[in-house]
Amino acid sequence: MDQHHHSPLFTVDGAKLSRLEDLRLITGKGRYASDWNDPQQLHACFLRADRAHANIVSINTDKALQHPGVKAIYTGADALAAGYLRSANFLTFAGKDGMKALVPDRPCLAIGKVRFVGDQVAMVVAQSHLAAQDACDLIEVVYEDLPAVIDPVAALQPGSVLIHDDIPGNSPFEAEAGNEAEVTQAIAKAAHVTKLSVDCTRVTASPMEPRAALIAYDKTTEQYTVHTPSQGVNMTRRQFAAYANNMSEDKIRVEVEDVGGGFGQRSSVYPEYVAMMIAAKALGHSIKWVSTRTESFLTDTHGRGNLITATLAMDENAQFTALRIDWITDMGAFLSPTGPVSHIRNPSTCLNGVYKIPALYGHFKVALTNTALVAAYRGAGRPDIAYAIERVVDTAALELNMNPADLRRRNYIPANEFPYKTATGSVYECADLPTLSAKALQLSDWSGFEARRLSSLAKGKLRGIGMSTVIEGTGAGMYPKDEIELSANAAGELTAHTVAHSQGQGHQTSFAMLISDAMQIPVEKIKIKQGDPARSPHIVGNHSGGSRSMVGAGTVCHLAALKLIEAAKSLAAEDLGVEPSQVSYSKGVFQAAGSRKKITLGELASKKTVSVKAEGAFSKQTFPNGSHITEVEVDPETGVSEIVSYLTVDDCGHVVSHTIVEGQVHGAVVQGLGQVFGEHIVYDKQTGQMITASFSDYVMPKAGDLKSIQVEECPTMSKLGPLGIKGVGEAGCTASLGALVNAVVNALHPYGIKHIDMPLTPAKVWATIEQAKSQR
Amino acid sequence: MHAFSYVKARTLKEATDTLLAHSEAKLLAGGMTLIPTLKARLAQPTHLIDIGGIEALKGISLKAGQLTIGAATRHVEVANSPVVKRAIPALAYLASQIGDPQVRNRGTMGGSLANNDPAADYPSAALSLNATIVTNRREIVADDFFQGLFTTALDSDEIITAVRWPVVGKSAYEKFPHPASGYAMAGAFVAHNTKGTRVAITGAGPGVFRWMEAEQALGKKMNAKALEALQLEAADLNEDMHGTKEYRANLAKVMTKRAVAKLSGK
Repeated sequence: MDQHHHSPLFTVDGAKLSRLEDLRLITGKGRYASDWNDPQQLHACFLRADRAHANIVSINTDKALQHPGVKAIYTGADALAAGYLRSANFLTFAGKDGMKALVPDRPCLAIGKVRFVGDQVAMVVAQSHLAAQDACDLIEVVYEDLPAVIDPVAALQPGSVLIHDDIPGNSPFEAEAGNEAEVTQAIAKAAHVTKLSVDCTRVTASPMEPRAALIAYDKTTEQYTVHTPSQGVNMTRRQFAAYANNMSEDKIRVEVEDVGGGFGQRSSVYPEYVAMMIAAKALGHSIKWVSTRTESFLTDTHGRGNLITATLAMDENAQFTALRIDWITDMGAFLSPTGPVSHIRNPSTCLNGVYKIPALYGHFKVALTNTALVAAYRGAGRPDIAYAIERVVDTAALELNMNPADLRRRNYIPANEFPYKTATGSVYECADLPTLSAKALQLSDWSGFEARRLSSLAKGKLRGIGMSTVIEGTGAGMYPKDEIELSANAAGELTAHTVAHSQGQGHQTSFAMLISDAMQIPVEKIKIKQGDPARSPHIVGNHSGGSRSMVGAGTVCHLAALKLIEAAKSLAAEDLGVEPSQVSYSKGVFQAAGSRKKITLGELASKKTVSVKAEGAFSKQTFPNGSHITEVEVDPETGVSEIVSYLTVDDCGHVVSHTIVEGQVHGAVVQGLGQVFGEHIVYDKQTGQMITASFSDYVMPKAGDLKSIQVEECPTMSKLGPLGIKGVGEAGCTASLGALVNAVVNALHPYGIKHIDMPLTPAKVWATIEQAKSQR
Repeated sequence: MHAFSYVKARTLKEATDTLLAHSEAKLLAGGMTLIPTLKARLAQPTHLIDIGGIEALKGISLKAGQLTIGAATRHVEVANSPVVKRAIPALAYLASQIGDPQVRNRGTMGGSLANNDPAADYPSAALSLNATIVTNRREIVADDFFQGLFTTALDSDEIITAVRWPVVGKSAYEKFPHPASGYAMAGAFVAHNTKGTRVAITGAGPGVFRWMEAEQALGKKMNAKALEALQLEAADLNEDMHGTKEYRANLAKVMTKRAVAKLSGK
């Protein structure tokens, strides 16, 4: 495994790079959604609700239609006429007592009512973006205001204003996991019970690439061609077709090249896109739209937004006996395609975290509020449950006056109990938590903390240490299998077509490395193609999300390479006039046994089609796990927390490229610290106006926030696929929330502070310290 | 953005003439405030008069105890200038803390002072050092220049051409950046010479102001401990989701203490 710490550099156009795609992307040669243009295109602009909840009394478009350059204006009436009324929803499992989710209609343009600030009311199509924007200002909408409900707990109260007439109590779904009676009994018998409520705050992904689309309609084929950011074109096509009144998927061609950040936010097909389909067909022109950053804040799906209460029962030896999780998930004004399923299924899978807990119960209640929709966001429920568990475990340690590392060690699932069946019925495949945790404790010098704390104190700083050990299910997809089409050309180069779509993860490097290793061909000769409409409809596969691409598509790249060698051996045998069994393969050359006769892969491909399609079915999940330990220094005068050390020890199975894994961990840890210290979508509780609708108020993490990070591995190999890979894309988010908050709370413990909800802004930390001081 | 006409002024006179000719015209220097405002469609000027290229508005010079900086001088030039670093190091430091590299490469001193954003950095230095704002028609001392939230003594057709900074004594700036925008949540510029000490606070209130109690306390004893017992009155300060009035009052005090400690080399 040692070579993983010395990942190779690749030579691309003379530049030495750690990823094959970097030169192209950093020199502006990427092709993103807004880079697609059609000379005849028209521009769309959306008039959006300026209020959170209101009936639409009337819409007058007369003046706007007179504006120079305006071609057409569409409203809810057009959505109704087209039948574009319901987005796809992947919430298919049954809820409490077998209940089915009540999925509200979401017309692509609002009909009769607006339900959050930013809800799309009308679409202007004009010859220029500016004309469309100016005309939007001329549309007159008469509203009848309704009271808005922003807080999910308030939304679930009896008597709350209803957001949808057909969804009683603003709760479209309720679900359970585990056994409530067992847990109640165990809590009653417990020697100690620790209860903690945490707010896993609502945040937004803020990818660099804004949401955008170019949509064309071809009269002859009756096909729509779509360019838009996507995490995988198959799922995008499926959602387009479902939203467009269950049109046949054949009618949707999706062509996507580079995507500038996904994080789950680019997994949904949004209503604007299908509204643009109406215009593209009616006007016979391509329709283009690029969202502003303000629209992104207001209308891109948000993430997290879960209120979680954890009740942990222990016996007299501090062995965990039961855990109850009560979970309210705020989904916004409608159900996004991925939000409810991921916010319930993912935490249910890992409801006990890394601990051996015999009795488990989770209760999940979905709330609708007059806010933007919530969907999957890097980890999608996994960071939320891990955060709640790792906070309640630290709180229990505090209450029992135990070292939190000792309490964890006492309760980790022993290595010899894997595969481990949890009390909610999921099966953790493999892990060695005691070894992994011991490595983290040793590398972080956990036991030497007190000396570091005192030296910080001498500088006037409060030092805290926090750990978080987590496990999560990754890899399972919506499609039954993942396929890769791999072909060779006359130059001896290979091209692999995949559905898994890189949004920055570096597939062009890691997938190519797998093929390169199997075929002993330089990695620079391998191209990874994604989102090609000529190929993608013929390839089955999952989008990139849920840390599944290396587990699924990556593994199949390896299988495809092996299959290509075998197929090519047969072709080479014909050419060399020998039996296939007599052909050997090495480094791009096929050689007949016992003779000098040989043919290169390129020569073979110049004569015959050298192409295979390989597949792999990964219906079960892999269980990456890890332990993060961090230390912070809090300045009590200003409330600023500075991260002074951050260590990750992760088990993501076999590592193909240490560089890529490190990049994923770095990015996810920073995304985690963003949520911990600043990021927060805040609405005015009365008006429902978003207070944080720009980067002047939404606190993004900055490069200086994490000055150094040590990334280590402690792998156990998954047997799900032949390579032993587990997912890693979200692991850093899952572990970092708990580790960082635990560290800050630990630093503030001298003041008697036991918990602070995220975000731990300087102002909040300072105010909490001041309050604690005044109460002493 | 709304449509507008762009005018590139070659001379100060051309800029003033255009400004007088169009009542809804706006001056454009670095554009670090104006362009985002236009993008958000919050302003609709008929003309943008670009004064960023006028040579007469540029340059840094030191003569007879006065540091003169042209209004169109960019923050990065102030931050990196050996002349400024030698004459008023705190001013160069302040410039190095404005916004981010992109902002510092575009934003100008004149633009920042004319805008008088309550959380901008330069106003605190100007008020603390009592700099002289030179315009195309007169000279205004900082004491008379700043008039609260986005308001200055400038007439609507008046253009700042330069700022004259007195080079006397020692000074220091400490700033607590807003966690999202990087503007000052509270910034304290402390200037000390034989005539006394002036403390200007930016970011915390609706406009830059002098903290008189701190000045008096420091007049008796020039060290951070002298401030320990003081509390800045919170009632008139700003409040938003990123900080209460009380938090800003605390930050103003902490930043003043740190500036004093820095100034006295402790």
